[in-house]
Amino acid sequence: MTQDEQYLQAMAEFGTALGRLARAYEPDADLRHDLLQDVSLALWRSFAGFAGQCSLRTWVYRVAHNTAISARVRRRKGRLVSLDELAGIAAPDDPEGAAGRAHVLERLHRLIRRLAPPDDQVMLLYLEDQDAAEIAEITGLSAGAVATRIHRVKQLLTRRFQQESET
Amino acid sequence: MTDPRTIWKTQPNEENAMSDLAALRARAARFEARVRLRNVALYAYSAFSILVSLWLVARGAFPAMRWPMLLMVGAHLFVLWQINRRINARRLPAEIAARPALDFHRGELERQAEGLSRAWLWYMVPFLIPFAWELGIMASRIHSGEAPPEAPRLLVIFIVVAVCFWTAVLLAFSRAALKAQLQIARLDALKAE
Repeated sequence: MTQDEQYLQAMAEFGTALGRLARAYEPDADLRHDLLQDVSLALWRSFAGFAGQCSLRTWVYRVAHNTAISARVRRRKGRLVSLDELAGIAAPDDPEGAAGRAHVLERLHRLIRRLAPPDDQVMLLYLEDQDAAEIAEITGLSAGAVATRIHRVKQLLTRRFQQESET
Repeated sequence: MTDPRTIWKTQPNEENAMSDLAALRARAARFEARVRLRNVALYAYSAFSILVSLWLVARGAFPAMRWPMLLMVGAHLFVLWQINRRINARRLPAEIAARPALDFHRGELERQAEGLSRAWLWYMVPFLIPFAWELGIMASRIHSGEAPPEAPRLLVIFIVVAVCFWTAVLLAFSRAALKAQLQIARLDALKAE
């Protein structure tokens, strides 16, 4: 397959996931558009060196996350926190309640934007249904460290979303 | 309530114009043009400084300062080469996926920290040597009575301004290098988990 064909295949399979990643990291529409373009460009260029070293999925996510990290480090505003710290921070008052898909989505985005790497990546990849082994391969964390973080992510999501819906 | 993961995966998509190869190539061309423009601005500034110095030397404007001025030209060329080398040393795009995010992020920080912590050597010393030489010439002319009466006051002003400026530059580089080192230590701790 040529570089162009590999890129088009990757975009067909993972284009929507890349859109979700850009949305998670960048609330501003213009900056989000820029980030998505940077990720796409990096991905296209990366296929010049792709020879099946890993699965296409791992390759795409690595490029996307590595590009997003660089952009995030450049544009960082405010202090980022770990999953442990975030669990200790009370959820903001939510007068409208937790109901509503758009509302839940917005709150998920806010949680990811507050997290420091690699916790933000673990949460994002967990939401994308990646298993622990794939997350370890993409982030470079050990399998044990990923498992611990996934456990914390699940706890955090339960505490922030499930309990509120029950009340 | 629906599982947050389901809501996440079924969120509305935003159109990505980069699915089109023509748009992608246009973006790549704009990116290359931006890099070229940034390099041109850097070279233009250095070329201007070098040409002014060479012009002054050629006209014999400050005969006593001829050698330190030529050394300053050399310093400009050296720093320019260093900046260019460091820009070119950045990872090739194809390598962006060769390493996991943690290693990639660490590599970027290491490159930054290395450049910043040694900036005194590759950025400051080349300019400070000819500058100190020029100050020495001024001081010796004052001492021998060849300099105009306002020269001692000017020399003191030069020294104070230079010390303040270069100290601020050194502190800024050191602070940025320390921040990068702290982040590297944090990533190493994560890696060791």
